[in-house]
Amino acid sequence: MDNNQRQNRMKKDFYEMTYILNPVLEDEKLSELVGHINKLIEDNNGEIVDVDEWGVKKLAYDIDKKSTGYYVNLYFKAPAEAIGMIERNLRIHDDVMRYLTLKYDSKMMRHYELRAKGELPLFFEEEAEEKVEEED
Amino acid sequence: MINNPSHPKKGNLKTKDCKFTKAGFEYIDYKQTDILERFINDQGKILPRRVTGTSAGHQRQLSRAVKRARFLALIPYVTENMR
Repeated sequence: MDNNQRQNRMKKDFYEMTYILNPVLEDEKLSELVGHINKLIEDNNGEIVDVDEWGVKKLAYDIDKKSTGYYVNLYFKAPAEAIGMIERNLRIHDDVMRYLTLKYDSKMMRHYELRAKGELPLFFEEEAEEKVEEED
Repeated sequence: MINNPSHPKKGNLKTKDCKFTKAGFEYIDYKQTDILERFINDQGKILPRRVTGTSAGHQRQLSRAVKRARFLALIPYVTENMR
């Protein structure tokens, strides 16, 4: 039992998080904030796997009277207790407009690996047909 | 629907098989908004299964993905009718 508990404490799950930052801030402040959030995850025993900054994008609807947002998409491994701490900090932070954390299950993991390899299944029929022709 | 040539309500009704199953999707990602947009109408509503032919499992995943994308302002909750 003791051993099992210790293993649970060691266990880290794979998470994906997307958050939107206030685009009004200067570039320096934005990269500082991204670094701050990465550090927040690491301070809570997390490991950053990948950070993908999408940059300023137009929002589909206004959030806090702003029509654009700075999107950051990041992947990390962390123990389950860390998520509450991280989300609490993001909620308090005024410049974080939205955040979404997803825990990855095996299906999503496979999807992630395929995407990393650039082998995602093609959806659009036009593309799929082209692919078949190439294979022939 | 207006600017979407492959929209199911635009004469593409015949396909009764699930496009996700056909393409071999295991997980529908909320980040792939180009795909999600094909399954919502011009008001931003999710199209029903009877229109798109999506399988039950994929429809559930799709609606989850659409809702996540809406929350992150990647696709709209509502769009006013342009008329």
